[in-house]
Amino acid sequence: MATLPLSSHPGPLMFSFRRFDRSTTLFVSLLMLSFLLATFDVRAQGSGLGGSLREGAQALFAPVQQLATAVTRPVAGFIDGVSNIAGLRDEVERLRAENDALNAELADVQSVQNRLAELEQINDLEPPGDLPTITARIASLGPTDFDQIRWIDKGRDHGVAMGQAVIDEDGLIGRIDFVAAGSARVRLITDPRLGVGVRDLVTNETGWVEGIGQGELQLKMFTAVKPVQEGDRLVTDGTRFPPGLDVGTVKEAAEAEAGFALITTVEPAVRMAEIDFVKVIVGWSPLDASDGGAEEDPARSTNPLVTEQ
Amino acid sequence: MSGRSVAFSLGLVVLAVVIQTTLFGDGRLQPLGASPLLVLVVVLGCVRYLEPEPALLLGFTGGLLLDLLGGSPLGLWAMVHLVAAYIGLRLRARADDGVVVVAVGVFVVALLGQALFLMASTLFGQRLLATTGIVKQLILPALYSVVVAGAVLPGVTFVLRERTVGTWLR
Repeated sequence: MATLPLSSHPGPLMFSFRRFDRSTTLFVSLLMLSFLLATFDVRAQGSGLGGSLREGAQALFAPVQQLATAVTRPVAGFIDGVSNIAGLRDEVERLRAENDALNAELADVQSVQNRLAELEQINDLEPPGDLPTITARIASLGPTDFDQIRWIDKGRDHGVAMGQAVIDEDGLIGRIDFVAAGSARVRLITDPRLGVGVRDLVTNETGWVEGIGQGELQLKMFTAVKPVQEGDRLVTDGTRFPPGLDVGTVKEAAEAEAGFALITTVEPAVRMAEIDFVKVIVGWSPLDASDGGAEEDPARSTNPLVTEQ
Repeated sequence: MSGRSVAFSLGLVVLAVVIQTTLFGDGRLQPLGASPLLVLVVVLGCVRYLEPEPALLLGFTGGLLLDLLGGSPLGLWAMVHLVAAYIGLRLRARADDGVVVVAVGVFVVALLGQALFLMASTLFGQRLLATTGIVKQLILPALYSVVVAGAVLPGVTFVLRERTVGTWLR
């Protein structure tokens, strides 16, 4: 008798239990769908269904984002400027000290330039300035702090392709890792999932640079013999990016100990927070770096979802 | 609950996605190198006024949009926002207990959501745990989300309460 009222007239407790049960079923189903989506997307290496969905989402959101960016850019700039006022005095002091140091170094510039020209000649490097580029503008950012990416307003229709290097006047910014019709995604060099082969212009030794968060990079040199010094300039070595692009400067001197790699931190040449207009280098492919061009599949090497080691 | 509530909720989430991808982030508003999880906050706000099934679908959709516009494999942020919506559904009755409870709830859900994302992304081969300052990168966005929630949740309530006929626990 006690169960009759419950089954005939479901009370609030039973009602909520039944609804909760349905919602839990949906929750578990969507959870499984999430895992399936991630699995297929990783396996498809960013193309396939995931690529089509991304392209569709970009087509829908890009115009709105560009409009919103035009509105929010001055607001963000104003707030950023106000918040930076307190730090301006320190910045002036720092710039004065830097100016003195630069004056002291000016005398050595000519010899450094000569050495650079010599190194480029030795390594058969092309000056990066001679490569054809497309100018683009940053349209939107990554949606979370974990996304070290930028979307630019040029895409496949403008000649942008997967794997192309993106630079500005200061140096290397990142690489195109997804292309839609009218936009493209740039994975920044500060992303831990993107690695850059570099050459120390002072020691002429090569190494590997990757992001470690907080805007810094980490340099690893597995076969280094000579130590690196603070301020050493690092440029791309030409394996996966056009050679000679500025990547950054060594922040802390380091040397390799026997049996261990040389590891130190690097200050990126480009301040990612300040990039607005960028250039996409369209006239260079990683295949240019290899003789036969058959050793490396560019589609594989530019996979956005697989760490490049 | 009506179809209009669902439509308005979806509109709010899309608006949050647009703002998140244009206003917040490196080079825009990112105090101390972190930005709030605006979409997550909006999802939590909407969940209070929706039936369970639309609420879960809304969380999943919001996260999926972030996945599509971000740089991570599809489905990871969808999973995070789905879990957040589910937690919001289970605990939404506590929202009447006061501002402090809501603030703590938003902080905890934001923190757990990011931790879940990091774990899931590591599972799928992403190297985000290798970044330095990871604790700061977890805590600051959660704190900022609480601040943003102070402005967003009353707005969501204003938009949705008038259009809600009845909710799950009423």
